[in-house]
Amino acid sequence: MSSQKTERLINLTLALLATKRYLTKSEIFKNVTGYSGSAETMERMFERDKDELRSMGIEIDVKALDPLFEDDQGYLIRSETFQLKGNEFAKDELLYLTMAANLWQSTALGNDSKAALLKIQSLSGPIESDVVNTPEIRDSENSSMLATAFDAIEYSKILTFQYNGSVRVVEPLGMYTKTGFWYLVAKDENSFKSFKLLRIEGKLAISGKHNGFKKPENFDLMQYLEKMNREELVLAEILVRKEQAFALRSKYAVSEFDDDWDLMVLPYNYEPEIIETLLWYGENLFVLKPESLRKSIKYFLKEFIDG
Amino acid sequence: MVDTAAIRALRTMDLIPYILENPGVSIKSLSERFSVTEKQIESDLQLVFMCGLPGYTPYELIDIIFEDGIVSVIDPQVLDKPRRFTKSELIVIALGLEILIGIGSPNPERNQKLKALSEKIAKLGSSNSVSFTPSGNNSKYAELIAEAISKRRNIQIKYSSLVKDQITDREVSPQRLYFMNGNLYLSAFDYNKKADRIFKVDLIVQCEITGTKNNEADEETIESLRVVLKVKKSHRNFIERNSSIISSVTENKDSFNVNIDISNIEWIRRSILSNAPGISVVSPESLANEMRQIAASVLALYQAE
Repeated sequence: MSSQKTERLINLTLALLATKRYLTKSEIFKNVTGYSGSAETMERMFERDKDELRSMGIEIDVKALDPLFEDDQGYLIRSETFQLKGNEFAKDELLYLTMAANLWQSTALGNDSKAALLKIQSLSGPIESDVVNTPEIRDSENSSMLATAFDAIEYSKILTFQYNGSVRVVEPLGMYTKTGFWYLVAKDENSFKSFKLLRIEGKLAISGKHNGFKKPENFDLMQYLEKMNREELVLAEILVRKEQAFALRSKYAVSEFDDDWDLMVLPYNYEPEIIETLLWYGENLFVLKPESLRKSIKYFLKEFIDG
Repeated sequence: MVDTAAIRALRTMDLIPYILENPGVSIKSLSERFSVTEKQIESDLQLVFMCGLPGYTPYELIDIIFEDGIVSVIDPQVLDKPRRFTKSELIVIALGLEILIGIGSPNPERNQKLKALSEKIAKLGSSNSVSFTPSGNNSKYAELIAEAISKRRNIQIKYSSLVKDQITDREVSPQRLYFMNGNLYLSAFDYNKKADRIFKVDLIVQCEITGTKNNEADEETIESLRVVLKVKKSHRNFIERNSSIISSVTENKDSFNVNIDISNIEWIRRSILSNAPGISVVSPESLANEMRQIAASVLALYQAE
């Protein structure tokens, strides 16, 4: 790739960024180095340059300078859409931003983390790494899949993938994590569903272009998640053997029941999850109430013993 | 991959504010940070000499000094500040802040600042289509442990072991903190066990920084036991969660056969029981029998009343 073109793109960006008023094409051709040749050649060059900068996320403002002549347009780049401001973040905020971006360094989001850190350090200067010694995140997700999903949500592109043995063609709406795993929320045949990213078989394919569907107006990720979690809490009464189940005791209070057992009340909303937690402690606890939970546990254990 | 002119132009423009804030930075360090070769950084910087504002007299060109592998910027022209964060960079930052808030700090002022910052980032346009939920377990010692790691100090902890179901005192040399499956873990050298151990941070019930000590690394050798499990498809969470210790998985019609090498027998007992009847033991036969007995004695608790 020729350096000339890179140089021209930089000079064009700088000129549009530095100007206080809109620059016309003829001003640009006359003053910005790198534009040469016939009028049509320069015109074509400029259109391509403009498109390329825009495709990289740079916003170029256009304004008709003379309402009578459509051709007479002016161009500029607003500094606030291009650059961060020097006072945008306080010193301690820059530190927290560094810590936040640092977390993702060795994950599927590592590239974005690195790019963000560069920008933060371009505001803050070097930050002592000791101060920002934060945990890192280890994830098992496939980075290309996460990036594809983010992209599809951002630009409303249809996604196609294999899940639980069938092919799904969905409208992606959001992503969330639960116990460390990523989930995709999407509209699949007129209902909103969650898909665990790890369970997507093979490739996550984008079919179609930008704005391939219209995002439903009644969908809000936060509300969707709230609704998922809002299912009513049930209280379980359990007996815990004395001097046992320390991890549970650190989360829920107990009261004395008799010489061998303490009574603990713990809330749950999803039976399989609470059963998993309780059975972990084996003979050291058992459920008094509710009866439905007792029944499920007894059934599961019998099934297990009978193989 | 060969960079397009536009990608190279952006990188070159990104270099200027970075060098401005980090004067005297080396070409080598720039090449690491910008993920390109040193040669590429040098040629990007050569290009900068030709760039500037219309007029293009020495007063209007970007001015940098570039000598013996060290770079400084004299005049950045309009490139004195970095470009704004992209949408995906904002997502990464916003998610990271949520985690930092989730970890929680004993310092309420810090928590408040983090929350305010997270709102500020949301206003900059981080996507509302992504939500990251940390496990929600406040780990009140995370910060102290991080401090011990950076100062290379040991810590004395009381640990409520989930597997052994008892609280033990340990002196450990903390190595690193990391998140996996939404939980915060500490990997550390345990002096009593003379081996590396993994601790779940929210199960550390007491923690203080002690002195420094060298790793006496005559590690205990741990014998592992090969166990074959049948995991129903409805319980494949187990496979996903423990992928790091599973050596192979074969798929059947409605279950998986999983080969797993166990160094902690108590852990596998508890895991199997808590997933009953979703996971059963194929081999060894002794473990299968033992598990049936354990299940029977738990069941007896419910039938005794």
